[in-house]
Amino acid sequence: MKLVVLLLTVACAWAATNPKAAAEAEEGLALAREGKYELAIQHYRAAVALDPHLPGIDLNLGLAYFKLNRLSEAASAFERATKANPSGFQARALLGMTYYGSRRFDAAAAQLKLASVQQPDNVELRYKLAQSYLWSKQYPEATAEFRFLLAKNPDSAPVHMLLGDVLDAANQQEQAKAEFEAAVKAAPREPEVHFGLGYMYWKRKRYDDARREFQAELTNQPRHSQALAYLGDSEMHAGDEKPAADHLRQALKLDPKLRLAHLDLGIVLVASGDAAGAESQFREAVRLDPSRPDAHYRLGRLWRSLGRDKDAEAEFAKVKELGEEQPQPPLIAVPGQSGEPKP
Amino acid sequence: MKGALLAAALLGALWAVVSGQNAAPPIHFAYRPIDFRLDSSETPQRHAPETMAGGVAIFDYNNDGHLDIFFTNGADIRTLKKTSPKYSDRLFENDGHGHFKDVTERAGLAGAGFDNGVAIGDYDNDGYQDIFVGGVHGNRLYHNNGNGTFTDVTHKAGLDKPDSRYGPLWSVGGAWVDVNNDGLLDLFVVNYLAWDVNTEPSCEAAPGQLDYCHPKFYKPTPNQLFLNNGDGTFRDVSAESGIRAHPGKGMGAGIADYDLDGWMDIFVTNDKLHNSLFHNEGGGKFEEVAFETGVALAESGQFISGMGVDFRDIDNDGYPDIAFVALENETFPLFRNLRKGGFADITQASGMARLSTPMAGYSPTIADFDNDGWKDIFVTRGHVQSLGYASHVQVEQPNTVFRNLGGAKFQALTAEAGLTGQPPSRHRGSAVGDLNGDGRLDVVVTALSAPAELWINDSPAGNHWIEFQLEGTKSNRDGIGARIKLVAGGAAQYNQVSFAAGYASSSAGPTHFGLGPNKSADLVEIRWPSGIVQQLRDVAADRVVKVTEPQKQK
Repeated sequence: MKLVVLLLTVACAWAATNPKAAAEAEEGLALAREGKYELAIQHYRAAVALDPHLPGIDLNLGLAYFKLNRLSEAASAFERATKANPSGFQARALLGMTYYGSRRFDAAAAQLKLASVQQPDNVELRYKLAQSYLWSKQYPEATAEFRFLLAKNPDSAPVHMLLGDVLDAANQQEQAKAEFEAAVKAAPREPEVHFGLGYMYWKRKRYDDARREFQAELTNQPRHSQALAYLGDSEMHAGDEKPAADHLRQALKLDPKLRLAHLDLGIVLVASGDAAGAESQFREAVRLDPSRPDAHYRLGRLWRSLGRDKDAEAEFAKVKELGEEQPQPPLIAVPGQSGEPKP
Repeated sequence: MKGALLAAALLGALWAVVSGQNAAPPIHFAYRPIDFRLDSSETPQRHAPETMAGGVAIFDYNNDGHLDIFFTNGADIRTLKKTSPKYSDRLFENDGHGHFKDVTERAGLAGAGFDNGVAIGDYDNDGYQDIFVGGVHGNRLYHNNGNGTFTDVTHKAGLDKPDSRYGPLWSVGGAWVDVNNDGLLDLFVVNYLAWDVNTEPSCEAAPGQLDYCHPKFYKPTPNQLFLNNGDGTFRDVSAESGIRAHPGKGMGAGIADYDLDGWMDIFVTNDKLHNSLFHNEGGGKFEEVAFETGVALAESGQFISGMGVDFRDIDNDGYPDIAFVALENETFPLFRNLRKGGFADITQASGMARLSTPMAGYSPTIADFDNDGWKDIFVTRGHVQSLGYASHVQVEQPNTVFRNLGGAKFQALTAEAGLTGQPPSRHRGSAVGDLNGDGRLDVVVTALSAPAELWINDSPAGNHWIEFQLEGTKSNRDGIGARIKLVAGGAAQYNQVSFAAGYASSSAGPTHFGLGPNKSADLVEIRWPSGIVQQLRDVAADRVVKVTEPQKQK
């Protein structure tokens, strides 16, 4: 965002080939500086109507749209700006940022890469470029960018964590672990660093290691609901049901919408013989996301164990229905991977 | 029983100390080539069957006492015909010294279509094992003539009819099993999903990069059960048996009598669907009980990519357990038989979850590879997606053997077991048997667009072993379904005769037991499918014992 503010102050040199157009543009810029972007857009558009080739107008129009989070229109304006001036850094960088905001990470990476050629030491730009590579699964490129950033600032915990994410996604587990550990070492009190390391262990089902890190995160942030939930989940998998139940309940007190915590608490309550409590938790897990089979399955198994065969059959039938759901054409899909950043 | 298990565990620890096994890898294989390359007609369009080929069988086709190898192979993907010799199925004859000769042409087993899986069984009880080949839109039954040749009897057997509702089916394999205990092997066929080269979806791994589609883009199809009429023909009883009412996306079938009621049951893994467990009610009827018994879904409660399966007793309690495999982050689930008609998921508790999370597996086989009395699990590994799918997915992987540390814990051995002696590959089917007669179980593995691999077991040879080659008289001749209890050194272990194991494959050699330091088995008890119980006492180890079913109970 700093990059955008900086650009806003410099993108104001009009070439007055059409004085009326330039005046509209000046008026728009003045309004933009006051944060009145809707009004600014009206003047910019008037300027464009008078002189579609007014230098810099698309850049400022795009900026105003960007500020209003109207990213599709911002992208169109920046695309016109880069077409008019392919060597212009500002429009290119902002186009990349806009694509990033639109979650078009492939396109963002392409534009930000071009911009970074012009300003190779622009750390903020390179940071966004690295993230674009990460979310578009261009892991070798992301690794290189994050390593560049670490060379500039070896103690940046966020960069270590993001590099850890990249390496973890690329199945380079030992290197990923080293980066998360470096983040912890660089800033042990920094929020999220222990959670990041713990989450990596958790994904690998290394529950003992995960527990240690989630607990450390909770030392830093005692009200971290996800750390509590994942700690409870890890304890449940280790068979420590009492602390698991405690932590899952704490997590749900902070965030009642944590589906995983409801599901896990139900499982723990089944093990402790509290069928009514378990049923309540499984029902809530189903309510929060009925499209997932796990809670239906657990609920059905619970009812089956209680002799409620008809209710059990109904839940099992829902699991089967979920499995039978077929997508509609067009049948283009990315198998296996969601492509989404982790929550 | 607990005392026996404890004694066995203590003995195991003692052997390790005495024999210095802490230094040498307890299970180890040496690679040996064999002249077969699986060709599934891989194309840039990524048609689904291209990534699913690769069944293999180990069996003694000529009854010379040496285990031979049969490979299924692909075909031109558009015509589903073997338009080139490179697509030929292949039969290799074992000379008993680990050398294999291609006898395909003489045997008449080159095949004609896109073949996927194989199931071995002597369906006509003539003493020669026959071959069922499951394929894409066409299956084959080859009758073993007993003179080194086979005859395609598919039409005569009535196994060449397309499904009345689903049309031609895609079979990934099958299992021979006597479902009604009439002494004749019946045929269970595992069908994958509805596929047509002209109408299948296109899927992209990345913009412009086609890759194999998620199974959710295809409709499920039913499995089939064919009852053996005893005259060389079969009757489709899929509907009346209850099997057809549960369509899925079958990838593997394990057969076992899990509740010891005397009737063989069938477990089917499905791809990104819940599994099926068909409980044999007797009288030719099956009830699907996967949800009730706790094996419908893995521990996560999610639909996972169920691949191959094996269904045998892992913890030596006499009740068959279930091991199947899936893709990375899905784990290789283990279901422990609770002896009361239900199962418990022990994937996490056994250590298997953590060990297998980064792995993608295809074919698991439960067998005792170090002859210590505990059955291990050999898993072929490789991802379903195409090469270059994504940098973060290991498409080519080495195989792994999971060593059983006493029934409830496992240790993953990959490089330690010599299995990185070959480059990683997209491994598919596997079959297990003692190919060189040294008492150690070897493995043959297929891989997509790559040479097959023979993994000769050269684990430390100190432990003893015994194998049983059963010959049924009232029961089916192969003895499939017979339960064998063996007691040695005060500890009991169990296995059953089943040739269906892994993915698309068949391991039809004698039933193998590792005996540890024991030079003999104190007791061998065989419960035949006919109900006859046969006991042998003080059976010397380190040999294959041929056992013929008595005509009546003594």
